[in-house]
Amino acid sequence: MSLKALLQRLGQTVFILWVVTTLLFFLFRLMPGSPLAAYIDPTMTADQQAILLHQFGLDQPLWKQYVLYLMNMARGSLGVSFIYKEPVGGILLAALPNTLLLTLTSLLIAYAFGTLTGALLAARRGTWLETVTLPAILATRALPEFWLGMVLLAVFSFSMGLLPAGGATSPGASFPSAFARYTSLDYLRHLMLPALTLAIFLQGLPTLLMRSNMLEVMQEEFVVMSRIKGLSEWSIIMRHAARNALLPVATALALGIGSSIGGNVVIESVFSWPGLGRRLVEAVSGSDYPLAQGAFLMIAAAQIVMNCVADVVYSTLDPRVGRR
Amino acid sequence: MKPLQPTRRAVLGGALALASTAARAEAGDAIRPLVLICKPQATDPAQYQAAQLCMQEWRKLGLKVTLQVLPATQQSSVVWLNRTKWDMTTWEMVGRPERSDPDELVYSLFHSSLAQNGYDFVGYKSPEYDKLAEAQRAEEERDKRAVLVKQAQMLIKKDQPYVYLVYPRRSMAFNAEVWDPATVVEEAGIGIRNFWTFLQAKPLGAKKDMVLNSPQPISNLQPVHMDAIGSWVSDLIWDHLMRVDIHGNPVPWAAESVRWVDPVTVEAVIRDGMKFHDDTPVTLEDIQYSFQLPANKNKTPQFYPNVANIDQVTITGPHTVTFKLKTPQASFFTSTLSKIAIVPKHVWQPIVEKLANTSQLVEDYNEPKMIGSGPFKFVHWRDPEEVMLTRFEGHWQPPKLENWILRTVSNQEATLGMLRNDEINFLAIFTGDPQNVADLAKQEPKIKVVTTTDLGFQFIAMNERRAPFDDPAFRMALSEAINRKIMAAAAWNGYAEPAGSCVSTALPFWHAPDSLLMGGDIGKSKKILADAGYTLSGGQLHYPAGRKEEITAG
Repeated sequence: MSLKALLQRLGQTVFILWVVTTLLFFLFRLMPGSPLAAYIDPTMTADQQAILLHQFGLDQPLWKQYVLYLMNMARGSLGVSFIYKEPVGGILLAALPNTLLLTLTSLLIAYAFGTLTGALLAARRGTWLETVTLPAILATRALPEFWLGMVLLAVFSFSMGLLPAGGATSPGASFPSAFARYTSLDYLRHLMLPALTLAIFLQGLPTLLMRSNMLEVMQEEFVVMSRIKGLSEWSIIMRHAARNALLPVATALALGIGSSIGGNVVIESVFSWPGLGRRLVEAVSGSDYPLAQGAFLMIAAAQIVMNCVADVVYSTLDPRVGRR
Repeated sequence: MKPLQPTRRAVLGGALALASTAARAEAGDAIRPLVLICKPQATDPAQYQAAQLCMQEWRKLGLKVTLQVLPATQQSSVVWLNRTKWDMTTWEMVGRPERSDPDELVYSLFHSSLAQNGYDFVGYKSPEYDKLAEAQRAEEERDKRAVLVKQAQMLIKKDQPYVYLVYPRRSMAFNAEVWDPATVVEEAGIGIRNFWTFLQAKPLGAKKDMVLNSPQPISNLQPVHMDAIGSWVSDLIWDHLMRVDIHGNPVPWAAESVRWVDPVTVEAVIRDGMKFHDDTPVTLEDIQYSFQLPANKNKTPQFYPNVANIDQVTITGPHTVTFKLKTPQASFFTSTLSKIAIVPKHVWQPIVEKLANTSQLVEDYNEPKMIGSGPFKFVHWRDPEEVMLTRFEGHWQPPKLENWILRTVSNQEATLGMLRNDEINFLAIFTGDPQNVADLAKQEPKIKVVTTTDLGFQFIAMNERRAPFDDPAFRMALSEAINRKIMAAAAWNGYAEPAGSCVSTALPFWHAPDSLLMGGDIGKSKKILADAGYTLSGGQLHYPAGRKEEITAG
């Protein structure tokens, strides 16, 4: 990708982020009801209520609130949460590692499994393996996440007692540092069930994508040439065909990271996982505008940035794309 | 009986038709379609079902009633802040330990002085009721006060500002293999999740940590801030001069004794040798400061009403603090001395000074060390996962359990699985179907369930600022139409008791049993309406003669 094209793409990304930011600001303020209704005690006098409104800047005209909001954003401040009375950035950043670890682990499992299974299914096209596996993959993709999560909880946690049912660590567990916490066996045990649920849900896309790409690539002349050269079937599939079929899967992975950050709301609620999705639910149900705006913005930003990354990576891997 | 002759029948028929026409001519306007506000079914299925059942009955009276579903915060916004803009709403008053004294509900909900901005959100005004509410507040003798509180409940029965529905019954559970059942106690109207259980619960084996659940994380952990879940925790960290016992009565706690010197003077003798969690002694200055801190209404608006009636707090002896009140207040022991937390002055005074010239409220400031003098010491708050407290050995009555850990478990069904699996050993709250908890206890003998009638109550509030709810006869007719027994069985699956007043049956000393209007008699409702001049025309209920509909529907 040329520098000009890269700058153009980055400019588009910034513009989309501004549009999303603006939409989020007005969307929440156009909702009916006062945002402070849940926090204003009716025994408070009008003066006391005014103090609260002033504290959150809600006594200002809408355009002033918007300008202030953009200026704060430019300074990296997402405002103060109505519920927690803490800076939104801090609240979200504290939840982000949990969401990232859950998302990346699930995507890693899903894409590793999907790539290999997709390649295998393409190689075994028309066999009993495809007849059995393909509907099963479609079925897991169609399953509601909460249902799948509850089934896995019932089996691995409530019946077999192998894995914990909720949270990120055991009750009362303490760690000397954040790194020690995220790399502890206790954390990994708690991560397993939510990550497995999400991975099962996510694996359908890479599997089917890889399979269809492989079926296309297997018809290419270089594959026929490899066969003529007498290479083993395994070598042809894995070393030659699969490599060429991986490109769209890599793009899907980049987009998957972006969308999964915001798509974990259900999994995080089922497993009481302390991530961004849970914060989002709390913020929306409690009309916590700043927190909800911040969470949505972070999710949208992840999606937009990963889209940009996918574009850049794709055109780098396949220069023909940039030229078209 | 002889059959009527054709001519006589014709004459009678004509007379009836004439009378009917005359009645129609005299009838007032048709009553507009009424709107009942309710939370979404997913948020509160029982309340939603109750709203549906009520509407079904009221339609039989010739009323058009529609349901407007609003999220909880929007419902609050409309009801509290737009007091002339709604007809009816489903509502709940939750049970809190300080509500075991009836004053907060009896006075605040219906005293006319609170109709404009306060808790009297339906706008009920009755000089007779005001007198009773004020008299019970000033009456020092408990028995005499109970008579007044019961009279107030009976007056409300007559005027029916609310359609009372039920007192819900809440189920909580614990692992009886971990905790000695004899030491898990039930507090009237609150249940087994209470201070006394946490203080006395005796571990039976090696597991000495109590692990409880909460469906939502804590938003604030502070001695001068009320938070639905956070208050469970702050109540353990910060001590009080008095505490509400399991029968709902205030008893001396950090105070050795408390007595009324006269109707506006209270003397408290403070327990000797108490320490804060940072090992500094609890002094009389700390006690005095603890009641002065919430008196700044601009910085601590939530707790201000609890100290608003205190004129002066003075140290009057080596162990004595005296409270001078502005007006007599019988509920002072419960609403103030059992409510205000004892805080270390050396920690809070600098915070208050720091925040003095800022817009930040003191009640929103989370002091990170959380130093109190209560029986539990703060360990960590890993938001939104858990809060952990540990036994404070320096307390004059330390708990028997080792650590107290409150876990956030957002998935209610998983909560029951965790209780079965020993991941939690105390089910502090369950917002799903209580029958599921009962079923779990049948499958797992180690799980013991305790179901308690709540201090709080569910009701439908009618806005008396708007016709036809300004007419007591109309309100009575609506209330008579609702069968509370069926309501408790159908909407709350049997986990509720029919309600007739704002004082729950969980407080038998204060509750007036005769206040219950069981209802369910549509014929009686129709008669009340007819006697008050309401008429039916074309299947629609009309106002009494001469009365115009002045409000646009919706």
